Amino acid sequence: MARIQLENVTKRFGKVTALDGVSLDIKDKEFFVLFGPAGAGKTTILNCIAGIQLPEEGVVKFDGEVVNLVDAAHRDTAMVFENYALYPQMTVYDNMASPLRSKLYKKDEEFIKKKVHEVAEMMKMENLLERLPSQLSNGQKQRVAMGRALVRSPRVYLMDEPLAHLDAKLRNSMRTELKSIQANFGTTSIYVTHDFMEAMSLGDRIAIVNKGKIVQIGTSDEIYYMPCNEFVAQLMGDPEINIVGGRLEKTGAGYAFSLNDVEGRTYQLPEDKDLFAALDEAGLTDVELGIRPQNVKYSFDPVEDYTKCTVYSYESIGNKSVIVAEIGNLQLRMIAPNGLAVKIDQDIYVKLELDHAIFFNMETKEYVSRYNEAAVKALAAEQEG
Amino acid sequence: MAGLTIKHLYKRYDNSGKKKKGAKLNDYAVQDLNLECGQGEFIALLGPSGCGKTTTLRMTAGLETITKGEIYIGDTLVNDLHPKDRHIGLAFEDYAMYPPLTVYDNIAFNLKAKGVDKAEIDKRVREIAPLMQCDDLLDKMPVKLSGGQKQRVNIARAIIRRPELLLMDEPLSHLDGKARQAMRTEIKRLINDIKCTTVYVTHDQLEAMSLADKIAIINFGVLQQFGTPAEVYDDPVNEFVASFIGEPPMNILETTIIGDGDHFLFTFEGSDLQIKVPERYNNVVSNGFKCKMGVRPMDVLVGGPDSHGMPEKVDTFENLGDERRIGIRVGNTLMMLITDDETRYKAGDIIKLEVRGEKTHLFDIETGNRIRE
Amino acid sequence: MNTASKRLGRIVQNGLLIIYAMFALFPLIWMLILSIKSDAEMYTTTFIFSPTLDNYKAVLLESDYLQYMLDSLIVAGGAVIVSVVAGVPAAYALARYNFKKKEDIAFQILSFKFAPEILVVLPLFMIYQMLGIYDSYFGLIWVYQLISMPLLIWVVRGYFEDISVEIEYAAQVDGYSWYQIFFKNLIPLIKPGLVSAALLAFIFAWNCFTFPLMLGGTNVQPITVAITKFLGTDSAHYGQLAVAATISALPAIIFALCIQKHLVRGLSFGAVKG
Repeated sequence: MARIQLENVTKRFGKVTALDGVSLDIKDKEFFVLFGPAGAGKTTILNCIAGIQLPEEGVVKFDGEVVNLVDAAHRDTAMVFENYALYPQMTVYDNMASPLRSKLYKKDEEFIKKKVHEVAEMMKMENLLERLPSQLSNGQKQRVAMGRALVRSPRVYLMDEPLAHLDAKLRNSMRTELKSIQANFGTTSIYVTHDFMEAMSLGDRIAIVNKGKIVQIGTSDEIYYMPCNEFVAQLMGDPEINIVGGRLEKTGAGYAFSLNDVEGRTYQLPEDKDLFAALDEAGLTDVELGIRPQNVKYSFDPVEDYTKCTVYSYESIGNKSVIVAEIGNLQLRMIAPNGLAVKIDQDIYVKLELDHAIFFNMETKEYVSRYNEAAVKALAAEQEG
Repeated sequence: MAGLTIKHLYKRYDNSGKKKKGAKLNDYAVQDLNLECGQGEFIALLGPSGCGKTTTLRMTAGLETITKGEIYIGDTLVNDLHPKDRHIGLAFEDYAMYPPLTVYDNIAFNLKAKGVDKAEIDKRVREIAPLMQCDDLLDKMPVKLSGGQKQRVNIARAIIRRPELLLMDEPLSHLDGKARQAMRTEIKRLINDIKCTTVYVTHDQLEAMSLADKIAIINFGVLQQFGTPAEVYDDPVNEFVASFIGEPPMNILETTIIGDGDHFLFTFEGSDLQIKVPERYNNVVSNGFKCKMGVRPMDVLVGGPDSHGMPEKVDTFENLGDERRIGIRVGNTLMMLITDDETRYKAGDIIKLEVRGEKTHLFDIETGNRIRE
Repeated sequence: MNTASKRLGRIVQNGLLIIYAMFALFPLIWMLILSIKSDAEMYTTTFIFSPTLDNYKAVLLESDYLQYMLDSLIVAGGAVIVSVVAGVPAAYALARYNFKKKEDIAFQILSFKFAPEILVVLPLFMIYQMLGIYDSYFGLIWVYQLISMPLLIWVVRGYFEDISVEIEYAAQVDGYSWYQIFFKNLIPLIKPGLVSAALLAFIFAWNCFTFPLMLGGTNVQPITVAITKFLGTDSAHYGQLAVAATISALPAIIFALCIQKHLVRGLSFGAVKG
């Protein structure tokens, strides 16, 4: 129930600058995800909002009101910690009741009982209420930590990698569960993660954080289809996007693209007026193309227009597999079904679907343009609306 | 190099010394385990923690006594052989390196202890190092290495003895994310190069699926299924295997079958969803038959409201970039579907689903065993 | 490997342990025996003698022994209380806050335990004389801090460091003030460490000899010093000495038994990721 703004927030720990001029404007009732690699400063942003840490510069505003000098207890936030931070000496029930028993948010015991049971039911953990944290599995602890935050109706929920310490399977199912109760929050929520699936799935909007700076803010589609640089492109997606370097050459109205790593492989780029206009304007010769693994086609028999490579690896990623094909110094990832009889170092024929390519400047690694940019923008606009 | 044969292997821990409250006595950690691993084959022992997979590995290595049964490496019965005489290489989860020695000396340590001459040791270290991509690490001290590098050295140390059998116990569990994936690929390529018979213990089904020629799935000390990755994925023998392999796991729903002799439908309590029972099951099902139905999220086709199929309401929708996951409520269970379709749904939207009948499995409600047509 | 050799190993192990136990306990047993011997039989080394409680009577009823005990209790107990009140916050600060020379200060505190007491006792004696706190409860409690405080700070600091700082953050966000967090959340978590450290500190303070010998006088005389009185100028009453020693050891032994139970550190584990 609050709009959260950060303006030019800078936080230093000794000589290390953890946050460097971070500005964010998080809308009321928005589910906002902070996504980035470990050590990017995501948690520090959250701590500054919670009031656990005080930024050296810049202001934090709740509903337009500067709260820099309000201490954590009086900011009316609820937080879920990465290591759960449960009170070890208290039962699950008392842990969850704890925020409602503090002087500031005091409620009578009857109300607490009702509220705790309500949340416990939503989180499917009514049978755990009498246990101590040491008697819980990691997944259960995670639920309790989440439950402790949900018993209150704060101005903002802050969640710091709540699923990070669960194993892959549990993490996926908890994420889906979180998604299904998300609609019940009805409150501004800020969620920190380094898992791109969580970011994509949960976030109304996502902010990409790297080295203490905000790199890009947008909806999941915007960031996935129009990453502002190669770093973001590589972060969003597993298996990682293929980055292919090459040279552009103008051929009449169109362009030809020749691969750097593979001698004599030149493609005529499929026509896209907007893209060509953007390329004309940029006037680049050295570019890198980002091509998602699902846009690489393969065949185990020779096909015209496919390039011959060898299989470097074939590995399952759950409900499907990834083939990595190698040609010269170039490795290409592509998606394949599970259970194929693929041998390492066997031949494979590969085709890049260039009409899905994202163009990056080779020198700066910045986004230049992509195919169907207008359509992607429309999709993103629809998502935001 | 040799194969590995395990015959009727049992392990029972002697709990008489310290009786822990609540711990079940006389429980077998491993029960009647039979495995056959051909020469040069890579098998994975897969199961949840405490299922007995590590115990099996330790018995194979000779670090644990055998309660009953036989273990053969090649044609040799190794039950009573000392670990050092079994010609095995070991790589554990914890890379216990000797901190005062350089990487080179760590790798060479085993051979030195055996009294192999210096020139030979040097030759072998230089041979192995590039395989494990640690040639430029040889002069470094262990403390200076990253987790992935340590694990590489650790594996190099295991294979330098040219073991007949390579045993690995969760070698990747200390690595995270990308390092883990990269290391997985490296192990796969390494084993492919040196063609050593390998037993690999893991609780991560992805590792097993990616690395192994054959997977032995173990639960509560009992072997559930032993087969190739494709077999355990497409043709699981019971509910445990079906839900353990694959991510997201197979949807398994309790169902009551209705219909006459020719046409049957799966129905679900608390839901109006009905799915056609493939005709191949006609001999085993009857009207009112209760069982569990399993179908993988990929094996349900999802269409917009105009396509044909059963209409259902979207409960959760997750856009994950290259795929989209849709959850629908069937009774109390959330059934997951995966689609490559670009359409964005919202919770509450109506979609049509069509289950690929040939991909459905039936499981017994009580035992969880597959009901085959 | 086989059971016969295992059993043999166990027998040898236990045999060695018994020999060691006898070696370690013998002086204590001998002291007990002395305390019930009469002066006449004192120098015989046989185990056959006529036991007597005369020594106990002499010590407990005919001397100021109980007063010495009380002095010991006041001084050692007072020292521990002061250490807890000042030491726990100090330990918290050393565990949680970053300030300049933090490790140096922590080490300095520990180093008080390194120096032999005899090294500092002479200057202390002169300072105490000048300050006028020589031979007073206050003076002894103060000097006992040298013994009890470093121990307490070091043990409790470790416990504080084990508690994840997020637990404090969580409580802050939940709406608790710092004092509430400290007493409601942190003190229960460090309790096992605090209790065992306090008991250990008490025992060390109780057994201290050098400081009270030099800095105590006629007003305040802890039991360790008072015992020496039984070695009179004319004759040594070894029996009475043994009684005094035996009784003065009792609190230490009782507390040592209590500590055992509290040395379990498990409580704070399991609350954070495991």
